[in-house]
Amino acid sequence: MSATQIAGRVAGVDAGAPIRQSSLWQDAWRRYLRNRGAVAAGILFLLIVVWCIVAPIVSPHDPNRIEFPDAYQGPSWSHPFGTDQFGRDLFTRAALGGRISIGIGFGATLAILLIGVAYGAISGFVGGKLDNALMRFLDALYGLPYLPFAILALAIIGTVNFWTMVVALSVASWFITARVVRGQIMTLKENDYVRAAYAVGVRWYMILGRHLLPNTLGVLVITIFLELPGVILGEAFLSFLGLGINPPDASWGSMAQDGRDAYRAHPHIIIIPSLAIATLVLCANFIADGLRDALDPRTKET
Amino acid sequence: MGRLLEVEDLRTHFFTRAGVVRAVDGVDFSVEKGKTLGIVGESGCGKSVTALSIMRLLPTPPARIVSGSIRFDGRELTTLSERELEDVRGREVAMVFQDPMTALNPTLTIGTQIIEVLRRHLGLDDRTARRRAAELLDEVGIPRARERLDDYPHHFSGGMRQRVVIAIAIACEPRLLIADEPTTALDVTVQAQVLDLLDDLRREHEMAMILITHNMGVVAESADDVAVMYAGQIVEQAPAHELFHRPEHPYTEALLAALPDLDDSDARSRRLTAIPGRPPDLIDPPQACRFAARCPYAGCGDSCALEPPALRELRPDHRVRTAHPASEREAVTA
Repeated sequence: MSATQIAGRVAGVDAGAPIRQSSLWQDAWRRYLRNRGAVAAGILFLLIVVWCIVAPIVSPHDPNRIEFPDAYQGPSWSHPFGTDQFGRDLFTRAALGGRISIGIGFGATLAILLIGVAYGAISGFVGGKLDNALMRFLDALYGLPYLPFAILALAIIGTVNFWTMVVALSVASWFITARVVRGQIMTLKENDYVRAAYAVGVRWYMILGRHLLPNTLGVLVITIFLELPGVILGEAFLSFLGLGINPPDASWGSMAQDGRDAYRAHPHIIIIPSLAIATLVLCANFIADGLRDALDPRTKET
Repeated sequence: MGRLLEVEDLRTHFFTRAGVVRAVDGVDFSVEKGKTLGIVGESGCGKSVTALSIMRLLPTPPARIVSGSIRFDGRELTTLSERELEDVRGREVAMVFQDPMTALNPTLTIGTQIIEVLRRHLGLDDRTARRRAAELLDEVGIPRARERLDDYPHHFSGGMRQRVVIAIAIACEPRLLIADEPTTALDVTVQAQVLDLLDDLRREHEMAMILITHNMGVVAESADDVAVMYAGQIVEQAPAHELFHRPEHPYTEALLAALPDLDDSDARSRRLTAIPGRPPDLIDPPQACRFAARCPYAGCGDSCALEPPALRELRPDHRVRTAHPASEREAVTA
């Protein structure tokens, strides 16, 4: 029930509420702002994203240009993060890799939401035998380990690029979201106002689209930041193994792979992308935590 | 006055793992055009299930209308497809639910929720629907109706919300309004207002109404006819005045005796009268009269302990399901 209330708060505002009603969103926003860790994480997250977008544009260095004389430089004014074994500027290159990593992260999360919401909504809304069948199928998929599944998906697709990575990672990890949405829809379905809507002859698709799905919005917002770290780590892992993004394109995972050969002598090459991954994942977790507290009315005044 | 709704031998059972729950087990009644039928009974006697059966709103499975017929203005409702039902619900028959705190979607403005129905059934365009919605709110007694269309349910008090729920229910001028305990969740002070409102609306719109309640006082105030339900069956049905002054069924008598009498000066110190025992298990109801175990008149070797009494017409419009109606008892003792 509390989940519906959370969802209610979020969706209500989304429906274009006048100022008096915005207390719903404002409430959540105020609670979020009171959580210092979450605010710091949010700011850092935004900074990283801005850096990834802006750095490659304004940087004097070409992130893919090989300059052997500059190889293995430590951090300096002209190369804040140093250079790698090919003399590429790591500050620019890490930003470029971040674009790919974060892009795949958000792309796959969005795909997870689309698949998960569609599957979960159908399962929860129709119920009965179909629900049972869909959920047992999900149970079967649930048993498959995440990364091997993604690798398998990539192998089946045959080519590896940004979009196939998005597909592979989302196909391997939409199960939790589907389950969460199904659970939400099932609880929401029991609400009196849904029955009241049926009682005045509202058609099923209007009930699903207007009375049920908007109320899952709060949970979905949280799900975005809960799924994001997993996907980003998955991408990094695959690229590190050489199964993901291929050179000369960079992702944080493939950059860490580049740094592996010389990690004793020049540890900064592996540390920079690893730190970036760790920071982003940590931020996403903090944000998810903050959102959950902010969107749950039970945590009102703590 | 013709009959608007005729329910005959309605049986709605729930098929659960523990067994078949005979929630409604052979209910007959009819509602006259423009009249109010009160259905009273204690919790779990099948009042609400009867109402939801008429609307065909029960989840199937586990619930199923096993037999019987529900005719609305000559049209059989039990065999309609879901698609056809959608056109009946809200247009011909509408329902007011018990708890106004949950019967409105908290995420939509009340305007949106009223307009949704108007557009669905009457096909009004947005502007006309909005104007009509404001008129409806005004009609159910919500001040500054036009401005309040853009408010959310949580901006309204319980009583006001119930008025909104009623506005939605009567939006398309249904011919039958089913009110399932419409005042139970409200403050006592507001209850009377809501009942008056329902009564006014019924008269103005020439609607018939089924008023479901466990409150005898509510029935006495607004019903033309009363049906008393017990354990999934109607045990007594009569015009309201007749039922309150000449109750025949021992259960009805007991219910009326259980009402506290405020004129009695000792009322405060006296314990409230209760009916001993509990209603039977509806998974395996007794073969005999379902009230026999609690009936003060059921003796040993009595016919009512062996075979279930049928609903019989004792006087015109006064039907009762017992072997010991009050009038026959008097005849015996006299």
